[in-house]
Amino acid sequence: MPKSQKASVKRRDFLKKAAMGAAALAAAPKLADGKPAGGTPGRPVAPVSPEAEFGTPPALEVLTADRTGSDFMVDVIKSLGFAYVCANPGSAFRGLHESVINYGGNKDPEFITCCHEESSVAMAHGYAKIEGKPLAVFAHGTVGIQHAAMAIYNAYCDRVPVYIIAGNILDATKRINAVEWVHSVQDAAAMVRDYLKWDDLPLSLPHFAESAVRAYKIAMTPPMMPVLLIADGELQENPIPDDLPLAIPKLALAAPPQGDSGAIAEAARLLVAAESPLIIADRAARTPVGLTRLIELAETLQAPVIDQMGRMNFPSRHPLNQTQRSRELACDADVILGLECSDFWGALHSFRDQIHRTSLPLTKPGVKLISITAADLFSKSNYQDFQRFPQVDLDIAADAEATLPSLTESIKSQLTSDRKRVLQDRGAQFAVARQESLERAREAAGCAWDASPISTARLCAELWAQIKDYDWSLVSFTTFVNRWPQRLWSFDKYHQYIGGHGGAGIGYGAPAAVGAALAHRKYGRLSVNIQCDGDLMYAPGVLWTAAHHRIPLLTVMHNNRAYHQEVMQVQIMANRHSRGVDRAGIGTTLDDPAVDFSKLAQSMGLHAEGPITDPKDLGPAIRRALAVVKRGEPALIDAYTQPR
Amino acid sequence: MRILSPASANRPRSRTFGAGFSEAPLALLCCATLALAFPVGNPQKGKHVFETHGCPQCHGNQGQGFSNAQTQAPRIGPTRLSQTAFVGFVRHPVGRMPSYPSQDISESELADLYGFLQSLAPSVKADPASANAQNGQRLYMSDGCYECHGKEGQGSTQTGASRIGPIQIPFPAFVAYIREPSAQMPPYSAKAVSDADLADIYAFLLTRPQSTPAKSIPLLNQ
Repeated sequence: MPKSQKASVKRRDFLKKAAMGAAALAAAPKLADGKPAGGTPGRPVAPVSPEAEFGTPPALEVLTADRTGSDFMVDVIKSLGFAYVCANPGSAFRGLHESVINYGGNKDPEFITCCHEESSVAMAHGYAKIEGKPLAVFAHGTVGIQHAAMAIYNAYCDRVPVYIIAGNILDATKRINAVEWVHSVQDAAAMVRDYLKWDDLPLSLPHFAESAVRAYKIAMTPPMMPVLLIADGELQENPIPDDLPLAIPKLALAAPPQGDSGAIAEAARLLVAAESPLIIADRAARTPVGLTRLIELAETLQAPVIDQMGRMNFPSRHPLNQTQRSRELACDADVILGLECSDFWGALHSFRDQIHRTSLPLTKPGVKLISITAADLFSKSNYQDFQRFPQVDLDIAADAEATLPSLTESIKSQLTSDRKRVLQDRGAQFAVARQESLERAREAAGCAWDASPISTARLCAELWAQIKDYDWSLVSFTTFVNRWPQRLWSFDKYHQYIGGHGGAGIGYGAPAAVGAALAHRKYGRLSVNIQCDGDLMYAPGVLWTAAHHRIPLLTVMHNNRAYHQEVMQVQIMANRHSRGVDRAGIGTTLDDPAVDFSKLAQSMGLHAEGPITDPKDLGPAIRRALAVVKRGEPALIDAYTQPR
Repeated sequence: MRILSPASANRPRSRTFGAGFSEAPLALLCCATLALAFPVGNPQKGKHVFETHGCPQCHGNQGQGFSNAQTQAPRIGPTRLSQTAFVGFVRHPVGRMPSYPSQDISESELADLYGFLQSLAPSVKADPASANAQNGQRLYMSDGCYECHGKEGQGSTQTGASRIGPIQIPFPAFVAYIREPSAQMPPYSAKAVSDADLADIYAFLLTRPQSTPAKSIPLLNQ
């Protein structure tokens, strides 16, 4: 260790002593009669020592250190393979920040400047769904985590690994000013612990190393979820003691849990014997391999697949993709296999949102339900994302993707030649039905084809025409555009869709798209984002992040000038009270004045056009934007659209 | 009665009609002036079909429907389905309703049955034949119909709203459903929207353009 460090005085100790001295002078408690409180009555309080008052004499003070704890923390972070760290800068992690960009060379991880912690975490959310592993997020221990909370919740509900390191100053005597006090907290993770898989507060650098590796392993073990480490300010900024043994533990990820062999054999028996089996996949495919495995299972059984699109589970035009017939097939099925279904019960019931709320089962009596989900392996109580209890007949607590090979093999071993012939006939019928669904979707898309505002079907068709010959990826969810992409486009690769938000926390869309585009950049893929206007208004600064870091992303606005889901919710209430719905737009619309998203994007350095109201103008605008994106930059087209 | 176009009548039907008529193949649509008549078969004969084919057992004597875990039969008197969608659903039902192939109920009988079911709609104090479509367009927006059905009445799978432009059910059935929807749609009482206003909205919906055939749109054939 350099000599200078041996004699160094800790920065915070110096400041602490100075503060203590000042405090002693200014705030020594006194009794009402003016005498000092405490001590022997009548005995004078000892004067403050010069050292306490003024700190170490300048001649002895050492103001620099070659290597502090944050450098070692960066060593640990690098060992975990993070390519990026997303953060809005904050003093609570200034040590880490500086170590990343200088000691770490700002490479693996590279610092990504974010304008909001919600954006940081949502970017990590979108990134992980493409790359299959987390990127790191730095955040302030109080206000940063508070900003990040909703995005953490989304990732938690969506079973996505996000790796967060938050700064904090636990030792109250080391806080130097009022801001550090209000930015410090006893238990920084407490406010989000309900939707974390794990968190820790390391008290030493060896502790940090062990917990950091442990956190990564926990986040990456299905069911995957966010984790949070607190990096104390003292630990970041103090020099590393000479005699401190430092090592980084070896990381070995846990093999995903597979289903019990007996239960798998029973599931196979039920599925082989079924006349009308049905597969419902929600977050079934975690990786490209998951998609391949689901295809093999479906084709082996010649069973229809309902893709709930929590992930890119199944090719959209595969003959066995019967997603558009979900209700009908649920009614007819005699055995239903749910794969990582976030709401298996909801998939099998219909609901009616009137004063008397009702639900009815879609399935016929006697249907056998099989569930395979890793969600069974980790549950919490407070937040209700676990949904209604599904009364299944065979519950396999395991990771679906890891379990599919043994299930498929078990099915193959039980299939006789006669049974295979029956299954082939069944599959042929589904192929016809799939083609009919496609034709129906196209006919439906023709409705309001020339309408202004532009129909969501037209928007998606125009977009598809421009991107289909590229290696593309849709990095936004499609619920609010009537699932037109899945109904009209051909999805056949895992990376072509990132699924949904998880917790329905709006504001996820734009940053998740940028995060996914960041993951796609090194592969040279074309990232496409159909962006809702209300969602972008939460934290539009993420557009600047995309521009600043040259993240290529084509964004086409689905600008219906409203929080439209909420317009409909208010309408339901107004109808219920027979008060008329003409005021349902109060508090729910974004139209007076209309937001000029093209100017907003331009102000942050993006190529942008719009608003486009004539559908004939949309295709050419997309072409121009695409030329910009191909150069490696983000671009945005603002399109005025129908509500849905 | 209204006659299906040969193309529609012979078209292979999928089994998705139960999802609502937004996905149903399009019927031969009438122009606005002709559509008001909506000839839908002989209601008297339809009543006989209704009573002799077991419909009341699940849907009730007046087609009022029962909704519980055992039956789940919606109200069908009147039905919100277009005649085309109705025929498709009876032939290829979804859920627990049994299928009625043509050897059990002919096309003609189904038309009569449809006429009977629509005749069960309460009388309406308004006539869309003399309604104001322009005012209807204004009401369609201010009353929030567009929110779920789209500004052209194109419907939405996300909202669960059927395609209603151009409208394909008789006016009394239209009003009956709006007053007492059997599914997710919020009810509009007469206090909120009068029959006369509904007539204007109905007239507006009749003027909505026909869907552009997908085969004529290159972008929809990729």
